[in-house]
Amino acid sequence: MDVTASMYAAQAIHGIAFGMVLFLIAAGLNVIFGMMGILNLAHGAFFMLAAYFCYSVVAMTGSFWAALLIAPVLTALVGVFVERFFIRKVQIMGAMGELILTLGVAMLILGGVKFFWGTENLPISVPPVLEGMVHIGALDYPIYRIFMIVLALVVLAIMTLLLYKTRLGKIVRAAVSDREMVNALGINVPLVFMFVFGIGVWMAGIGGVVIAPILTVFPGLADQVGMYAFIVVVTGGLGSLKGAFIVSIIFGLLSSFGIQFFSQLAPVLIVGFMAFVLAIKPHGLFGVKE
Amino acid sequence: MKFIIKILLIALCVFSLFFLQVFNPVAAVAQKGAKPAKPPATHPKLAEANYAFDVNAMGDMSDFDPATVQFPKGDTIKVAVVASFTGPAAIVGKIYWAAVAWAAYDINQRGGIMVDGKKKFVEVIQADHMGRLDQCKKVAERMALQEKVHVLVGTDGSHLMKVINQVADKYKIIAQNITSTSDDLMDATNFSRYAFMSCLSSSQVGSGLGYFYGQIRKKEKRFYIICQDYAFGRSIADSFKKGLKQYYPQAKIVGEDYHKLFLTDFAPYLEKIKAAKPDVIFTGDWIPDGANLVKQARQMGLKQPFAHLFLDDPNFLHEIGPQAATGNIQITQYGVEGGAFKTPEQIKYYKTWHDLWANRWKTEPYNSRLFEHGSGNLGSYRQQAYWLFSVIERAGSTDPEKIIAVWENDTYRLPTGKVLRMRACDHKVVQDLHVFEYVPAAQQKVSMNIEPYYWYKDAASTGPTWRIPAEKVLPWMDTKLERCAGKNEWGE
Repeated sequence: MDVTASMYAAQAIHGIAFGMVLFLIAAGLNVIFGMMGILNLAHGAFFMLAAYFCYSVVAMTGSFWAALLIAPVLTALVGVFVERFFIRKVQIMGAMGELILTLGVAMLILGGVKFFWGTENLPISVPPVLEGMVHIGALDYPIYRIFMIVLALVVLAIMTLLLYKTRLGKIVRAAVSDREMVNALGINVPLVFMFVFGIGVWMAGIGGVVIAPILTVFPGLADQVGMYAFIVVVTGGLGSLKGAFIVSIIFGLLSSFGIQFFSQLAPVLIVGFMAFVLAIKPHGLFGVKE
Repeated sequence: MKFIIKILLIALCVFSLFFLQVFNPVAAVAQKGAKPAKPPATHPKLAEANYAFDVNAMGDMSDFDPATVQFPKGDTIKVAVVASFTGPAAIVGKIYWAAVAWAAYDINQRGGIMVDGKKKFVEVIQADHMGRLDQCKKVAERMALQEKVHVLVGTDGSHLMKVINQVADKYKIIAQNITSTSDDLMDATNFSRYAFMSCLSSSQVGSGLGYFYGQIRKKEKRFYIICQDYAFGRSIADSFKKGLKQYYPQAKIVGEDYHKLFLTDFAPYLEKIKAAKPDVIFTGDWIPDGANLVKQARQMGLKQPFAHLFLDDPNFLHEIGPQAATGNIQITQYGVEGGAFKTPEQIKYYKTWHDLWANRWKTEPYNSRLFEHGSGNLGSYRQQAYWLFSVIERAGSTDPEKIIAVWENDTYRLPTGKVLRMRACDHKVVQDLHVFEYVPAAQQKVSMNIEPYYWYKDAASTGPTWRIPAEKVLPWMDTKLERCAGKNEWGE
């Protein structure tokens, strides 16, 4: 592979890696919206919270791997708490109540983060085993970014198996399809939805932990990717996991090749793509007309 | 005959001396591996100062804690620090606060300042603009109208400083810019005689680095520019290009990119940089973008040094480790050639801050590494605050007209020995700048020349430092500004 070809190959992998992180965040948002109908404006804040949990776990244990296990679970527990004691109470008010509440939760998390961790930029390093580069011909690629891709695929596989191959998944899908009927069968639907919310937040948490070593953890982290996650969800189709996956990859590739060829236009390309898709398919690429 | 031989011998000696002088092998060897020529001595216009900071006159600072400091209220000299105290950049406001509060507390400990026939204490107020334009205008106006402050000090962002200057102009109070570097803040369109820019400006960053690489370093030739895509990022990149053109015409810009603010993934940009094979990457990015840029660059195997002006956050430096930051170049308005401490007063000044940090400050973020040394940008803000109070003291009044009269053309000597000069026609500061190279702890003693002989044990920090003479980095002057018409770059 010559130098130019390896540069394009690297750009393609960069695009996929970024797309995978976007997918982790957007998929969680999508799961929550698709199954519960809640547009969770606090999703970016949960993502940020996970990065802070990651920082604390790494500081306490010295292990990134412990953080990868613990931080998303802690974040999911916060999510479950929010769903159980706040969101469930305002569902009667409809979408507007949920939007305002989740916006409030986002602000609360931001305030909490500043209170507990301060406003400084906090460092998290790449675990030693994932440091360094892979050499393939003329292509040198960071191992950590390959790990990001693999992890996102593992999470996607887990989610797919959970939703489509387990009894729990069947219950969740049934509850989405006909809540009253599932309830009548004696299944605790609010508990199922609490679980779904927790899973969605857990995915954002995985995204937060994975991205922490390549970014600086600071209180503006939520804004950095939160907006992209919403754009992915809307373009892919609200509630479509497949849509979120494909659009995340497209966005990642548009971003990296956009920067390579039309540096100034790169941010516009993503929004342009969204506008184009929504003009043709107002419900997103894989969205379903209600 | 003897006489002739004598003459010949004398002639031979003279010739030999001349030969050695011209073809001196020692000098030739020295020149080959020579260190760059020393810059010219301090410019005569900056040799003397109207006022010099006296470390021995400082008040008792032993109770100062930026987290808990209280200021007298009532008939005081009121100064508002207008900055981000909440939001993503909240830490920046804390840095300004610590700097201005320190200087004000010191003044109060000395008994205050005699103004308008009365000794008055200084009161410092936090004014949070949250990084937002609308809030900045609102809070600055509240400070002017409700709190009736005498001075607005700011701020993190030239677009916000512009608003503060406008408010100062409208309500005829002084505005002091201690950190925003955009030159257009003081151009013909935006200039206000109430606004003073006591910090370095973008044009100086470019010319300073251009001078460093072209006239001092003379080594690297290929430069890649990557900056944030907004007014400041563009202007700092332009100034760097101009600086190279002026002082280093042989230099080549091998690539140029502007990325959106708060970018998550720099990898595609870094891939382009890798392919362009530069010797140096110049960035005007501030943290977090700058930190993420360098961090991701090192993760991707880019080893080229960065030339920058904001990447001195010790947390960031610790995070990336000594190796990743070693070789980076920073331009600064707070610098000292050779050892940082040359007099007992300088050691005392440093230790007063550092010992309080080590023993007294227990509250976040003031107990963190960010506040450990009181030098760098933080040190510069502190000295600029002292300059403001010195001007008010010498004006003997809080009347803005009297303050303006003293500050224009004023010269002020800092504890580091450097002299600042306020250019009268456009209120920009003229000063020597410094460029330093980041080195690991073992080599930091060239700069940190007192115990423990390093700034940070586990991070790269200030090493060899070069002075950029003020006359080589005179701030850009807008000749369309009527006050500057027909004046030279010194404003004369």
